[in-house]
Amino acid sequence: MSLRRRPQLSFPDVASLEGPLLEVEDLHTSFRTARGVVRAVDGVSFTLARGRTLGVVGESGSGKTVLGRSIMGLLPGANVERSGTVRFSGHDLTAMSLAELREVWGMQVAMVFQDPMTALNPVVRVGRQITESLRLRAGLDRKGAQETAVALMQSVGIPDPVRRLRSYPHELSGGMRQRVMIAISLACGPKLLLADEPTTGLDVTVQAQILDLLATQQRERHMGMILVTHDLGVVANRTDDIAVMYAGRIVERAPTVELFAHTRMPYTEALMRSIPRIADPSHTRLRAIPGRPPDLAAEAQGCRFAPRCPYVQDRCRAEEPPLRTAGQDHVFRCWYPVGSPEGADALARNVTAMVPAALAFTGTRVRDVAVAPDGARAPA
Amino acid sequence: MAGSGTAHMRGGDVLLRAEHLVVEFGSGGHRVQAVSDVSFDVAPGETLGLVGESGCGKSTTGRAVALVHTPDSGTVTFDGTDLTALSARELRRARTKVQMVFQDPISSLNPRRRVLDAVIDPLSVWGIGTKEERRAKARATLDAVGIDPDSAGGRRPIEMSGGQCQRVSIARSLMLDPTVLICDEPVSALDVSVQAQILNLLHDLKRDRGLTMVFIAHDLAVVKNVSDRVAVMYLGKLCEVAPPDTLYHRPQHPYTEALLTSIPEPDPASARNGAAPLSGDLPSPINPPSGCRFRTRCPYAQQTCADEEPQMRAMGPDHFVACHFPLGSQGPGQAADGPPSQIAATPSAPPPPPPPSPAVAPPPPPWQQPPAPQSAVPPSPPDEPSERPPLWLNP
Repeated sequence: MSLRRRPQLSFPDVASLEGPLLEVEDLHTSFRTARGVVRAVDGVSFTLARGRTLGVVGESGSGKTVLGRSIMGLLPGANVERSGTVRFSGHDLTAMSLAELREVWGMQVAMVFQDPMTALNPVVRVGRQITESLRLRAGLDRKGAQETAVALMQSVGIPDPVRRLRSYPHELSGGMRQRVMIAISLACGPKLLLADEPTTGLDVTVQAQILDLLATQQRERHMGMILVTHDLGVVANRTDDIAVMYAGRIVERAPTVELFAHTRMPYTEALMRSIPRIADPSHTRLRAIPGRPPDLAAEAQGCRFAPRCPYVQDRCRAEEPPLRTAGQDHVFRCWYPVGSPEGADALARNVTAMVPAALAFTGTRVRDVAVAPDGARAPA
Repeated sequence: MAGSGTAHMRGGDVLLRAEHLVVEFGSGGHRVQAVSDVSFDVAPGETLGLVGESGCGKSTTGRAVALVHTPDSGTVTFDGTDLTALSARELRRARTKVQMVFQDPISSLNPRRRVLDAVIDPLSVWGIGTKEERRAKARATLDAVGIDPDSAGGRRPIEMSGGQCQRVSIARSLMLDPTVLICDEPVSALDVSVQAQILNLLHDLKRDRGLTMVFIAHDLAVVKNVSDRVAVMYLGKLCEVAPPDTLYHRPQHPYTEALLTSIPEPDPASARNGAAPLSGDLPSPINPPSGCRFRTRCPYAQQTCADEEPQMRAMGPDHFVACHFPLGSQGPGQAADGPPSQIAATPSAPPPPPPPSPAVAPPPPPWQQPPAPQSAVPPSPPDEPSERPPLWLNP
């Protein structure tokens, strides 16, 4: 059985592609909920060239998963509003009908989901889950699809693939399941891969294998890749550019080396400082960021990071900073950026004024008090 | 790495001591030894970090020490008393001083109970104090963990974030003034910035209340940060026990070094780029490898490793390892002379194409080489039996 119709869209041969592979312009995605309108993605723009990897870093509630799904158009039908443009290989994905999108999904743009146990169908054998898209989209016959599936499984490092075709997901380990997910996503040879937290929940040695695998596949197929994660360590070595998200917006975007060398946005800096490093001596005091990410349903005024920012000043609470440039391809959102004289000034003023975020940031010993949006002490 | 042996045990004034613990699950032919002859001790005021990957048995060990799982054999001695020899009633009383904090903060709280009530519970169960005293103590403890009892005390877990729920769990575990806190992956389910808050909180509470901690996690960086002593586990056995800084700078066990190499450093300039030194998956715990359990993935494995289970032995002051060929005892280049590395031999070894032919000498493991960029992958497609190029390689 094949759903293959005459393709409605034509995608240019990638070698002849002019311009970026993916262009996202002012993407907004909001959900209507009982609590109000939750602006999960609040004005995101970026471009991605073929063969490059973009890391999207953010915590829970930053909008990074919704961003990936908005780009692909994998959103619920009801109570969702999406605006902005997503141009892939010359086509506007946001203007496509479902039929047209079906030609894009899997074939041109593919996604690796976060939790393989829930993303894979538990009652269908793994082999069939891989051959499914090969038969439906690529129109292969049963034998051809099986052979391709076996070769795919080999290329993602699944041992004994012929036997594994007949396994169910629960019979495989976490690492194996994620490899199956990657095989499914690569089956039809997409040009863009969106990997949404592909290694969260996996052991660190398996994580390293999976990331190596993704990097190799990307290099061989010359794909564009977007790696969405909360782990700065994962993106530090495997991405060309990094976009840091907070409260639905990109707050800093730069080439990877530049981001780590010349961080500008205080949130990025605070995030880097709060991670325990293996090289630090034991019992190093961690520079935790007090408070919690903001409620996306609440009305925003000023910079969304202000309640937790060590550099915060009055202007930050009143006016939201726009994206500004700091050198080659490096944009950020801050009035008092890291490494600037006004930033250093602001931090010093805050430490004197005993602003909790500044005290926590500079390592002054204070109990980790949560800071509510209005600055008063509140439950964490 | 099958680490049996008690060379790493200290005599004298230890608060918590587990000896030859064995915990089995399953029945009949499918018994799994999740914890297989594990011994360790914890001195008063010390934090022991127990680290290892999924399936190594660290959580089960933690629960066995708290007697949540009754060990199938072995003893757990707390403050001089052998907990495994106590009757149920005596155990219940002795156990109040050993409390646990669990991994999933939201599901470890009763979803139908309000936070303040959940925290008061331990005192109610034991009938300690009057109602007002219990309430006061619960409020004070919630305050100590950074939760405002007035605004959050009346909430239910579903209304709170992961970090807040974990704070409530910690408060609840402190209510009976324990001496030992066993934290089973307390920050694994939390976001990075919240993780830092909780780790700092645990550190402060430990200092303020003189707690002794057993901290179980799979993240070596987190464990290193909080521990005074670290024990590495693999497939139910102990590999290595050492102070955290020593473990990092001079790991002796191949598995420890593999773990360290796999950790991705949040620093693009770092030499440790999280390249995968270990291939394959954990062997089945139902039928673990003979001799040393790590030998199937170990690049230094020799025949001795299959024949004989290594015992814990001292490699330095307070540094113990269960390995026949610890890293410090090998000369440079010795590893390359060993039998074909497991990394090269298995067809599943990433990165894929082309898999090295068996005749090619396996490269020395990545962490023996100077930091190198990712190996160049030959641009040609892999050898395929069929003529047409595979579908998924872009033209």
